[in-house]
Amino acid sequence: MEDAIVKLTSKEGETFDVPRKVAMMSKLVKDTFSDDDDEDDEEDETEVKEVPLPNVTAPVLKKVIEYCTHYQEEEMTPIQTPLKSGTLDELVQAWYANFVKVDRNMLFDLVAAANFMDIKPLLDLTCLAVSILIKGKSAQELRQMFNISAELSPEEQAEAQRENAAAESS
Amino acid sequence: MTEAPCERRTSPSKRMRLDVTASDFAELEHLHPYGALPGGNVFFAEQARSAIRPSDLLPDDDAWLHILGYCNGRDLGCLVRSCRYFYVAGHSPELWRDLVLRQCEKRAIRNVGPTWKDTYVKLFYSETIPPHRPMSIPGIYSDTLYRLHSCRSFSIPKVWLDRSPTDTLERVSVNDLTVSQFKSRYEKPNIPVLIEGAAKDWKAFERWNRPEYLLQHAAGRTFRTTSGVAPLPGNFSLDAYLKYCESTILEEAPLYLFDRTALEPGSHLWNDYMEDLKSSCPYWDPELMKSNGHDLFQVLGEGRRPDHTWLIAGPKRSGSVFHIDPNCTHAWNAAICGRKRWIFYPPGVTPPGVHPSADGDEVTLPLSVGEWIFQFWDEHMQRKQSAPLHERPLECTAMPGDVIFVPHGWWHLVVNLDKMNIAITHNYVSDSNLSNTLKFLETKVDQISGCRDREESIKPEHLSEEFKKALKQQVPELLSEALKVPTWTCRAWKDAEAPKKSVIEQAKEAGPCPSFSFSFL
Repeated sequence: MEDAIVKLTSKEGETFDVPRKVAMMSKLVKDTFSDDDDEDDEEDETEVKEVPLPNVTAPVLKKVIEYCTHYQEEEMTPIQTPLKSGTLDELVQAWYANFVKVDRNMLFDLVAAANFMDIKPLLDLTCLAVSILIKGKSAQELRQMFNISAELSPEEQAEAQRENAAAESS
Repeated sequence: MTEAPCERRTSPSKRMRLDVTASDFAELEHLHPYGALPGGNVFFAEQARSAIRPSDLLPDDDAWLHILGYCNGRDLGCLVRSCRYFYVAGHSPELWRDLVLRQCEKRAIRNVGPTWKDTYVKLFYSETIPPHRPMSIPGIYSDTLYRLHSCRSFSIPKVWLDRSPTDTLERVSVNDLTVSQFKSRYEKPNIPVLIEGAAKDWKAFERWNRPEYLLQHAAGRTFRTTSGVAPLPGNFSLDAYLKYCESTILEEAPLYLFDRTALEPGSHLWNDYMEDLKSSCPYWDPELMKSNGHDLFQVLGEGRRPDHTWLIAGPKRSGSVFHIDPNCTHAWNAAICGRKRWIFYPPGVTPPGVHPSADGDEVTLPLSVGEWIFQFWDEHMQRKQSAPLHERPLECTAMPGDVIFVPHGWWHLVVNLDKMNIAITHNYVSDSNLSNTLKFLETKVDQISGCRDREESIKPEHLSEEFKKALKQQVPELLSEALKVPTWTCRAWKDAEAPKKSVIEQAKEAGPCPSFSFSFL
C-alpha cells in the first residue's frame, strides 16, 4: 500500500514515521520486510512495522530521512569513478551538494548511518564528500583537519616520506 | 588391550584429516604486508592511549576504503604519511589497482612493478623509482583489511596438490577412452570426467611451459584480464602480465587472463594443439561433425558463431567462482601449465553462496575464490558428507596434461594452485545437448552471451533462427532428432521453470517407495 508507514526508532528511542517507499531505500529496512513476506501472503494493514536503529542517533536519522524523502522527488546523479571533477557541485545536483555541507562529525555520522542502513546513494555521496575534504591536503594538514595523531615513529615517517614523493607528484 | 592406541591404523583424528576443513585454509601463506591483524586482537593490545585515530571518527573500515576509493594517487600518497591507520588502509592494493585500471582504460599496461602502487607510479615516471617497501605497522586491528589479504593468501591444502582420496570426480586414462565410450558414458548421461594425460602429447604442452616461447608468439598483442572485484578489465602485454603474476603484494582477487581471441583457427598457438587434440581426443574433433555430432555451432561459420575458444592464464589462487557455462554448452578444459582444483555441483543443485533468481538469470555470489572459501567451506563440507548422493559435490585436482570434461548445466569453481597456470578451454554443442541449446536460444535470449560485442557475430535475437537454418542444411537428421524432444532434459534449466514445491509436497509425490534417479541431467 502506498500510504503505508514505517516507524524508524533512533538510538535514544525517538520514533519517526516514514512512508514505506522512503524507508525502503535502506536495504536494512527492506530486508526486515522480506523476512515477513514468507509468513503472510497479505499485508496486515493495521500493524505498522517498527525498525529499531540503535546505531543511529535522532539528529542523524532526521538527516537520513530528509535525504531519502528528497530522493523520491529528484533522484541523485549516480556517482561514477573515475570522477569527472573534484567539486561536488559538478558531480551531483545542487540540493545534494548542499546536503553534505555539514560539520565534520555529522558528516562522519552520516557515512556510518548510510553504511549501517545500507543506503547506497547516500553512502556514495557522503564518502565522496569526505574524500573531497582530503583532496589537496598535505599529511600535516590532514592530521590537523581530522585532529588525529600520527603515531608513526620518526623512522617510519621518514621512510613513508621518501617513497611517497613520487606518488605525491603524480 | 592388544594394541596401544597410537598403533591403531585409522585413528579418528587421522580419518578426519583426510578431508579438508575450514581451518586448513586459515594459516596464511603470507602475513599481512602492512601488519594488520584481525579485529579481535584489539582486546589483547595495550589499552591506554590519548591519540585520536581515524577509527574514532568513523569505525567502519569498509566505509574508509569506500572514501579512499574516491581519492587520486597524489592524495593517497599524502594520506599514507599522516598516521598509522591511513598508512595501512591507504596501501590496500585494491585502491592502487583501481587507479591503474582507470588510467589504463584506453591503453595497455606494459610496465608492471612488484606492487600495484609501483605500477601506478611507473605510469608517470620513466626513470627508475625505488620500489615501494611495505612497513609492518603495529597496532592496526581490522577484520576488513585482514580478510582482504586472507582471500589471496589462504593456505592451499596439501591434499589438493596431488591425487588423493578427496578426488571424487570420475577419472579415466586418455588411452582407455574411445569416441563411443566417451559419448555413452559421459557426454550423453551428462557426467563430468577427468581424462588423464589427454594433453600430455600436445605440442602446446611442451612449448607453452617455456615463457620465452609464449612471449615470442604474443609479441605486440595485448590480453584482456578481469576479476569479479575489479571495476574495469585490464589489458596487459604478455610480459607485463607474467610479471604481474609474480607480484609480491596481493589484492583480494587477481586479474585473470581470459582471452577469447588469442586462439584463432590457423594461428600459431592454435596449431600448437588442434591437430594433436584430434588424435588424442577424437570425440572433440570438429571435422568429424557429420559422424560424431561434435561442435555444431561451426555450421554458423567462424566469425558469426558465439565465442568458443579461450586462452586462460593466472597466478596462484586465481580462478573462477561458481558458474554454469554460457549458452547451454559443454566444455573441455586442458591444463597446460600448473595444477587446478575443481569443485563441481550437479545441475539444479545450487552451490553454497550462490543465489539464482527465479528465472535463473542473476546470481549473486562472493566475488573471489578466497571469500567463497572463508564463508562457505563449512557448508560445502556438510554437503559433501550428508547431501543425498546424487546432489553431492565432486572435487578433483587436474595435473598439467589432464583435460576435464565439463558437461552442460554443471556448476563449477576452479582454483589455480601453482605460481603460473595456463589452460585452454573450448565450449561446444553436440548431439547430446542440442535439444537443450535450441530451447535456450529460443527462450533465454537475454542470457545468450559471447556475441554481443563483436560486429560480425550473429546477434542474440537471431541466433536461434540462424542456427536452425544452418543445421537443417548441414546436419538435418540431428536437427530433427533434437526438435522432437519437447522439454528440457537438464535440471539446470528444467527446475527453474517448474513451480516451487514444498518439501512435504515433494515427499508426497515421491510416494511410499521413492525411486532414486542418479541421472545428472
